[in-house]
Amino acid sequence: MKDYQIRYIENLNRILELADVSRESLSDTEAFFSSRYEKRRTISSLITENTALLRQELFPALDDVITLPPEEILSLREFASALRSGGRELDIVLTYTIHNALLVYARHQKKRDLLIEELYWTGMSLYSLHSLIRPVAPNRYTWRMQNLFGEAASYIKEYDSIEDPGTRGYIHRSMANMALSYMTGTREMGERKMRIIRNSLRILTDPVYHRKTPSLPWDTYIYKSHQERTTSLAFLRSSADSQMIREVMESAEYVWQKQLEISRATGAAPSTRWHVVYELAHYHCGILTLEQLLTRMERLFLERRTDDYSMEGIYCNIYLPAVYAEYLSYNEQYKQSKKEVLGYMYRMMLAYVRTVPASCMGISMIRNIMMTFINFIEYPDGLKQRDLLLRLVVCRNPETFVYFHMTACLSKLLLTETLRVRPELLLGVLDLDTEEALLAQENRLAEFAYEAGMFHDIGQLNFTQMTTQTGRSWMSEEKELYKYHPQIGESILRRCESTRLCADAAAGHHRYYDGKGGYPETYDRNSRPNQPVTDIVALCSYFCRLLDNTLDYKKPHLSLEEALAQLRSESGARLHPGFVRIFCDMEPTLRHYLETARLTAYRLAVSYLYDETPSPI
Amino acid sequence: MKNFDELTRIWGDVALPVIALAPSSGTFAAVYQNAAADALCGGADLLDIMPAECRESLTDPEAAFVPDGLPLFLPLGDRVYSVVRFLWEDLRICMLNDVTVHYRENESTVNNALMANQAKSSFLSEMSHDIRTPMGAIIGMTEIALLQDGVPTRVLECLNKIKTASGHMMSLLNKVLDMSRIESGKIILQEEDADVADLLHEILTVVKPQADAGKLNFILNLGEVCCESLQADTVRLKQVCLNLLSNAIKFTPAGGTVELGLEITRLPSSGRVLFRITVRDTGIGMSEEFIHRVFVPFEREEKSTVNKIQGTGLGMAITKNLVDLMGGTITLSSRPGQGTCFQVGIPFLPGSDHLAACRTALDGKHILLYDDDAGRGERTVSILRSLGMQPDLATSSLEAVEYINDMAFSPEEYFAFLTVEKVSDVDILLFLPQIRQRMGSAFPIILLSENDWSQIEYVYTRAGADAFIPLPLFTTRLATGLFSFTDQFRERQQEEAEHAAHNFHGKRILLAEDNEINREIAVELLGMANLRIDTVVNGQEAVERYSRTAPDHYDLILMDIQMPVMNGLDAARAIRKLDFADSRDIPIVAMTANAFVEDIRNSMAAGMNAHIAKPLDMEQMYSTLEMFLGESR
Repeated sequence: MKDYQIRYIENLNRILELADVSRESLSDTEAFFSSRYEKRRTISSLITENTALLRQELFPALDDVITLPPEEILSLREFASALRSGGRELDIVLTYTIHNALLVYARHQKKRDLLIEELYWTGMSLYSLHSLIRPVAPNRYTWRMQNLFGEAASYIKEYDSIEDPGTRGYIHRSMANMALSYMTGTREMGERKMRIIRNSLRILTDPVYHRKTPSLPWDTYIYKSHQERTTSLAFLRSSADSQMIREVMESAEYVWQKQLEISRATGAAPSTRWHVVYELAHYHCGILTLEQLLTRMERLFLERRTDDYSMEGIYCNIYLPAVYAEYLSYNEQYKQSKKEVLGYMYRMMLAYVRTVPASCMGISMIRNIMMTFINFIEYPDGLKQRDLLLRLVVCRNPETFVYFHMTACLSKLLLTETLRVRPELLLGVLDLDTEEALLAQENRLAEFAYEAGMFHDIGQLNFTQMTTQTGRSWMSEEKELYKYHPQIGESILRRCESTRLCADAAAGHHRYYDGKGGYPETYDRNSRPNQPVTDIVALCSYFCRLLDNTLDYKKPHLSLEEALAQLRSESGARLHPGFVRIFCDMEPTLRHYLETARLTAYRLAVSYLYDETPSPI
Repeated sequence: MKNFDELTRIWGDVALPVIALAPSSGTFAAVYQNAAADALCGGADLLDIMPAECRESLTDPEAAFVPDGLPLFLPLGDRVYSVVRFLWEDLRICMLNDVTVHYRENESTVNNALMANQAKSSFLSEMSHDIRTPMGAIIGMTEIALLQDGVPTRVLECLNKIKTASGHMMSLLNKVLDMSRIESGKIILQEEDADVADLLHEILTVVKPQADAGKLNFILNLGEVCCESLQADTVRLKQVCLNLLSNAIKFTPAGGTVELGLEITRLPSSGRVLFRITVRDTGIGMSEEFIHRVFVPFEREEKSTVNKIQGTGLGMAITKNLVDLMGGTITLSSRPGQGTCFQVGIPFLPGSDHLAACRTALDGKHILLYDDDAGRGERTVSILRSLGMQPDLATSSLEAVEYINDMAFSPEEYFAFLTVEKVSDVDILLFLPQIRQRMGSAFPIILLSENDWSQIEYVYTRAGADAFIPLPLFTTRLATGLFSFTDQFRERQQEEAEHAAHNFHGKRILLAEDNEINREIAVELLGMANLRIDTVVNGQEAVERYSRTAPDHYDLILMDIQMPVMNGLDAARAIRKLDFADSRDIPIVAMTANAFVEDIRNSMAAGMNAHIAKPLDMEQMYSTLEMFLGESR
């Protein structure tokens, strides 16, 4: 690797350490507060340095990638490999960028072996990006990775003329990875996925290929394909045919037997994940009852290690409660009788997430956390999704919590003032059709505005790694990815009673008032009866971002006057003109609020980190 | 064609003399005559005993048979008959009505009216022609001026305004000329194979920008199209459609809707198809009273909303006359403030099918179509199957890639990838480059779009698209578009290219044109093609100049028709009569604004070889010159 590449990766690792909330001392709020900003300043200088390194060294090379000499190409391959870092995925967008450039090089130079390898790795990079926005699938990456894996796999036609065993391996791996595009639980998707795995396994188990390339790890390939096939358990619920059921069972059995073999050889316990999959398969084919299945999952949860941040640890501590909740939801009786068990699992999961080092807070961790929300079961007298969400935000990114809280408080202030001076702007909110009805429900409306402000940006959770650990300026790919956060936020909030009302604010807070800018483009304000509250939240959220100085909390990015002038300049286009006018007329109130707002929010965050019981809502 | 029995059944007992004429060897001959006609002629053929002038007007295939509003009087012995004429499928039916008494009483009045009407039409025709000629010069000179480098902005603005205004003036003149031509019975339909797709796309190209400019919602409803080639006069048919649509657009306020419906259905047991268009708008509508006068020339409804809109009041009259001429019908319904709906139905004979070569070349080929509009996608698939192709329809980007992957694992391969411009799950501009990279530069990627290709070409060709086929989709367009990527097409093109090398260098032309400005335009345009040009100002000078030069000195003569001293037709005849080595062979090309069938026929009869319409169109002129001066000649 070149010096700049080594330096870049060192800086990334340093940023991971600095961004790590789990190691902060919480004993003194002021000290915590100051320490966070001090670290953010250091992170900022590292980001500046890394950005310059890429600008001066990498991008000129990528600009001319087609004519790069072989040694330069080699260094790029090494750099990309180091960024992947054995699955740690230090910088997925940069990894994708480099692999994509190498792909262009290989295609242009007609280097077939390199082309196949880079088709595979570019496809894998896209899979990482795809995983970031998995709740919105299929997405902009799905077809692209399918296209790349498909192209690499199609070289099976030239198999005999390819001499390099590694390249042959990439063909097999690409063929198997074509199944990765299918993640949603529809029957059609399930059938397509099963067909691809079936075809791939047929070749992987063909002795002719084994004889042609004996050095390839055939067992591993076959094992991984069976593993992938077991993920199709989810499809079995949508009335799968008997062939699909048989194949999934067969794969679960295969994987479990392999786990037992490994366990016997190493003396370590078999993986909990594959143990659970094995039990689930038994339940689906009628060998286990639901009660037996739930009991086995409870036992496995109790056997977990709470300081294990490996994939196994993440599975046991985060994913298992989500799977448990999913199967619980099938049966109302168990849903009630196991309420305490599930509450306990959620609390333990939260405690675990709080302790995860930043270096382990990768895509897998976030994906598993998001699974919790997808299957979250809310009880009237139990843990609410909104509490869980806030605790997760606060424990992983207190600065985001501060921003949420300020937006919430300002939204409440603005709504209350609107009710006083121009209540007609709020007609229709919560189905209240007259000004009298609105005024009679002032507290309820104020609470709604507060909660909408608090949760409007919850989709950001999905991008925690990207927002806190990207060690350079963002590239356009990151900006595009980030634009999915309103949709992801909406999908999380709409699932549960306690947050459903806030889903519109999540979906619409980045879409412009005049419909001509912002995102997502598909957002239709006319179909949202609570749009006035979304307009209020959008304004307050934007205002907070104008003030936010990520490097020094004592010096806002813009002064109050400047921020208000900015709001006025975007009145009628980005922002609702009526609310802008009211908000700007509130200047004295805003000035007073802002004097202590940030520190108050920080204190709240810290106290929340200390004590699980009180809720900021 | 109707048989004798059927004619007898219908006309046999009719008291009035009736004869039926059918096409025969380039003319029309009598195939039936009823008993009353037999009695009138004493057993002879009615057609044989009538005056030649009258007979010709009934049998000439290129004469306007269908009544043009003027009566045709047939004197037989001491009686005078009015000939009622109408078409019955491909038969011409003539029914004689004895009007002797009435005719004698009003002979002078009728003659005077006829003469006055003819004089009016003739005057309008001549006037229009005389104004068109200088207008052609104005338009031509403006275009040349606009092409010059370094024209000051202010001058450029003026030139553009002259261009717009003169274009408008020309269209008004054309309408007046058309009307007078129709009224004087001089319009003859030029029926040839007309491509419905071309017709529709040409109409849309004109109409859509007009609708956009008027902030109107334009909707196209394409119904069943059983046949995409018709034996029709494309120019006149397009004129009918455009008149109706332009009117609808003109009289519909911003925000309204103009809808064009088109369908072509088979007429049972006649071998013909019915071309039907419906033009519906949500415009100002018409009063009940005006509906009855809408097709009368120069009639415009008197109301403030109409008076603000420019027009001659001729459009609808021309439309009605043209539809009549084509043997069709036009009906309308309208309510003030609610809009108008015109319906036109015209029977045509189906045209030739030119797709045999395409079908052979495309037969059995696999093609991938990406369209997430289920109805449109299925229609395209059905057309592709009708061409013998094997289409796969993908409704998402992921599915499209799956098809490509599946095909990559099979021994077959895709011939091409067809995609619509907009789909819901991916930006096609991001999708195409990936497909292009994977499939290689030789793989045809073809875009289906409702937009004007010239507007989107830059972006889409850079994204990987090779070609464009317009929507709504027609079999001919799709077939020829796909055919252009086949080996068979490439071979054919190579053969044609060998015969079509353009090179006018060293060729010499004699140009006869009396109008100085027109001469200047012609010289400038011809000069651009590296031709050497000598000019003369009338036919007499042309004959003299040609006579004085050595044989083969000129390669071609361009001849204006209307010139002082000696007109172009006489000059051509004179040249052909000269006893020179090349006087019978030298190409003589007529230049005239009279682009009518009879004018062309007269030119040919005078010994000319071809005809170029004025104002001069560069493309047409070069392609005509290519015919005579190209390398292969």
